[in-house]
Amino acid sequence: MHTFEFGRPADAAAAIATAARAKTAQQGADVRFVAGGTTLVDLMKLNVETPGRLIDINRLPLDKIEATADGGLKIGATVRNSDLANNAVVQRDYSVLSQAILAGASAQLRNMATTAGNLLQRTRCMYFRDTAMACNKREPGSGCPAITGANRMLAVLGTSEQCIATNPSDMCVAMAALEATIHVQGAKGSRAIAFGEFHLLPGSTPERETVLEPGDLITHVTLPAPLAGSKQVYLKLRDRASYEFALASAAVVLTMKGETVTGARVALGGVGTKPWRSHEAETALVGQAADAATFRKAAEAALRDAKPQSENGFKIELAKRCLAYALKTAATA
Amino acid sequence: MPAGADLPRIDGLDKLAGRAAYVDDLPTPGAWHGATVRSSVPRGKIRDIHFDPAFDWNDITIVDHRDIPGPNQLKLIDVDQPVLAAGEVRHKHEPILLLAHPSVHKLRDALRAIRVDVEPLPAILDPAAPLTPDLIQYKSDNVLKHIDIRQGDPGPVFARAAHIIEGEYVTGSQEHVYLETQGMLAQWQDGRLTVRGSMQCPYYVLDALTHLFGRSRDAFRVIQSPVGGGFGGKEEYPSLLAIHAALLAEKSGAPVKMIYDRQEDMAVTTKRHPSRTRHRTALDKDGRLLAMEIDVLLDGGAYVTLSPVVLSRGCIHAAGPYFCENIHIRGEARLTNSPPYGAFRGFGAPQTIFAIERHMDVIAARIGIDPVELRRRNLVRTGQPLATGQIYKEPTDLPALMDRALDLAQYKARTQSHAEFNKSHPFLRRGIGFATFHHGAGFTGGGETYLASEVWIEGKPDGTVELQTAQTDMGQGTTTILTQVVAERLGIPTEQVRVATPDTSRVPNSGPTVASRTAMVVGKLIEQACDDLLHQLGRKSGDPEISDDIRRHASLPGKSLVGRAKYQKPASIQWDDKTYRGDAYATYSWATYVADVEVDLRTCRVRVTDFVALQEVGRVLNTTLATGQIAGGVVQGIGWALYENVVLEDGAMKNCQMTNYVIPSAGDLPPIRVVFEERPSHWGPGGAKGIGELPMDGPAPAIVNAISRAVTTTINEIPVTPELLLKATEGRGHG
Repeated sequence: MHTFEFGRPADAAAAIATAARAKTAQQGADVRFVAGGTTLVDLMKLNVETPGRLIDINRLPLDKIEATADGGLKIGATVRNSDLANNAVVQRDYSVLSQAILAGASAQLRNMATTAGNLLQRTRCMYFRDTAMACNKREPGSGCPAITGANRMLAVLGTSEQCIATNPSDMCVAMAALEATIHVQGAKGSRAIAFGEFHLLPGSTPERETVLEPGDLITHVTLPAPLAGSKQVYLKLRDRASYEFALASAAVVLTMKGETVTGARVALGGVGTKPWRSHEAETALVGQAADAATFRKAAEAALRDAKPQSENGFKIELAKRCLAYALKTAATA
Repeated sequence: MPAGADLPRIDGLDKLAGRAAYVDDLPTPGAWHGATVRSSVPRGKIRDIHFDPAFDWNDITIVDHRDIPGPNQLKLIDVDQPVLAAGEVRHKHEPILLLAHPSVHKLRDALRAIRVDVEPLPAILDPAAPLTPDLIQYKSDNVLKHIDIRQGDPGPVFARAAHIIEGEYVTGSQEHVYLETQGMLAQWQDGRLTVRGSMQCPYYVLDALTHLFGRSRDAFRVIQSPVGGGFGGKEEYPSLLAIHAALLAEKSGAPVKMIYDRQEDMAVTTKRHPSRTRHRTALDKDGRLLAMEIDVLLDGGAYVTLSPVVLSRGCIHAAGPYFCENIHIRGEARLTNSPPYGAFRGFGAPQTIFAIERHMDVIAARIGIDPVELRRRNLVRTGQPLATGQIYKEPTDLPALMDRALDLAQYKARTQSHAEFNKSHPFLRRGIGFATFHHGAGFTGGGETYLASEVWIEGKPDGTVELQTAQTDMGQGTTTILTQVVAERLGIPTEQVRVATPDTSRVPNSGPTVASRTAMVVGKLIEQACDDLLHQLGRKSGDPEISDDIRRHASLPGKSLVGRAKYQKPASIQWDDKTYRGDAYATYSWATYVADVEVDLRTCRVRVTDFVALQEVGRVLNTTLATGQIAGGVVQGIGWALYENVVLEDGAMKNCQMTNYVIPSAGDLPPIRVVFEERPSHWGPGGAKGIGELPMDGPAPAIVNAISRAVTTTINEIPVTPELLLKATEGRGHG
């Protein structure tokens, strides 16, 4: 680990002012906000991230879960994953979020990890995490050995010639399906970012993972008012029962009238370079009978553009089954 | 407290409370840190080494092969492995240079300021790949060791067999994942070197140092620090690390500590040998084994290291605990340009036992006989020979042992209820499977004779005794067990027994802590040393005067009171290392393991839902420790069968972080029911036999037999990953 400065600003404005001096808010940033540290400190130990300055935001007043005026929910940036998953309102109205968080990491990590930190979780691609290897995400232009190498865990959706790294978050998959909004305070004021626009596809700039600019501080996330009578399921397939990233996961929020699907929001995890909202699957579901054939069609639609690499082709079939299984579970819940 | 009475682990509380000082915890004022510059390619010629001129190299100690005072050889079975590459590299991560500096940070910067120019040479990464002359790197054919075991003449038997069944079985590598990574601390003082560190075999380290530095044994002192797990991974590798630390310490003039982090440890140290075993078996119409032809191929990696003896144990166990008059086992360990594979709990036997126990189920399915019945007809019985001609003389009725395990697992009832369940459930499939197997305790063949182990027990002026052996406690309970053995043999309370820290300046060479030999072989020697001590005192075990006698004798000026014992080969053991005929081991432990599994056809997930581990291991010395050791081995076996996938890139482990090398979590484990059948054996102390490796052998075949039955398909490869299962059940999981 490299040496770094550590500061604890008095308020958000001071934090933002310090961070705004950085050249980037993306990979290679020399200034980083730190909250739970469960991703960042790990990557600093591996020298994958080498910030010169850490800004501790744990003491900023960003740790509340509150109702919003329009019947939704406001979740502070430093709300711990455990607290969010176990919040009574979340469990009742946004259970897919609770399920997703509890499907990730370990109890100890969830006690530390925060909402904003989870939004910024980095990939577990082993080339990214190994500084002896080339990696376009870590060192732009150095190449992507994963494409011809060990890519079993890597993405099949949203990949590019430059990067096939998987977004590892479970929480984000649920938030994508819940149509969350991310609220940012930055050097130029505040703004709200729709969840689907927050993460970027790797394209030719895999080092850029989000739309954040230097100084941007995520203050909170809002969820819209819950859909009345919605059925929510998060299903995660992984190599072991606990403490393991997804091979494939699916978050589904369904509304039904009788045996017909009237509304559907679907997102996939473990298979995309970003949390993968599937409008294709949703279109294939709405207005259709809630049966196995529909669910399989929706799953086929969700993975239609999937591109397998040498070792991860099985994830396409696994993701289809995962989504179909999640839809069936939700429909019969 | 007598043996068998579950003396609590002597080292337990210190480890639990964080008081145990592992090598990285040792206070070492003035110590420098050491690091290694390694090859980035599997094979090549070192053209040049560039040191960035902008970097200040003044206070960095740099060691290369020219700094080695004696032969640049890691002394093991062969001497083909250099400790630092000179001119050519044979595997990725091969050490080329060593660096030391007081600051870890500067050391890391220095590593980055070095570039090694290597001209790649053709590498062989698959031991079965066809050989071209440019790939040959060991003798004429890259064969590190060849073994032939012959009994009878299988060839002609196939012509008259009712059934001929063939199969090929493949096992992957496995990483030890001990909690404490490898580490060594070396310090020269007055021309004498002291090495402390994490190791299983202090005298192996001593031998390797003596050879490399070309000095006498007196110049070296090797001390084991508390070890956080070994599983074979700290059998041979610590010798290399100790040499590296010693070279840096000599050149820098400072104590040098080398501690691998997890990533380096996983990437560069030894692992389980990947294997491929082919069976061709002739049976009569009733399923009796008539002839077995078995080909075992191990990937040895780039140097010989321990591959010959791993292959040996693998081959000896390859025909299983069965009687067959005609057997030919051919084994080869071949060179590849992978980092050398090495010792790992089971030592070749888990690989070949996976093959034979899967093959027995494949045979049963193919000829339409119950797998229980097939084994019942073939399990070795009193007076019959095993593959090396060793006659079965043990008291255990193996079919009865198997039946007991199957009863404990409700095998019959579950076989039936699973069949019903599988007919009615849309996507879940249940299966129960088992393996019958054995594991030889102690070194193979003449190994124990060669080791000539020695143990001492010294009476102290305070009336206590100190046991002096080189046996290391790496968490398996050696200190506790050996304390019990001494206390029981002398008839004194365990509180009056101390066990000396393995320190080559103080303890005799009682051999390495490997091969399930410590409790049984060394334990037996300890009994003899205790008897010698009693003889010197003119006392019988349990005499109340023993402590007073010890106090008096040990207090006499100029006198010492030491009971001694040295291994003598029992006349009843006959072994011919040339023909591989005879008593391969003094004795074996015997077991039947039963696994119950549930497979989700949709998600391709396997869950082991119940596990019975029944074994006959002689007398159990400490039920708590023995149960823990068996359960731990079962977990490691479950990991090898289902989760642990060593991904190789350029021949070396790529997924060398715990985030991408998956070992089972508590949530993946079934209840593990450990049951002992106790039949005291005269080979070990108080009737004990070795148990350390046995539990690694049975889980993989039992689990894969269960999966194969659950999904009615043949799976002959581990680990059984979701993708493997998806392929094997293609089209059956659309939910």
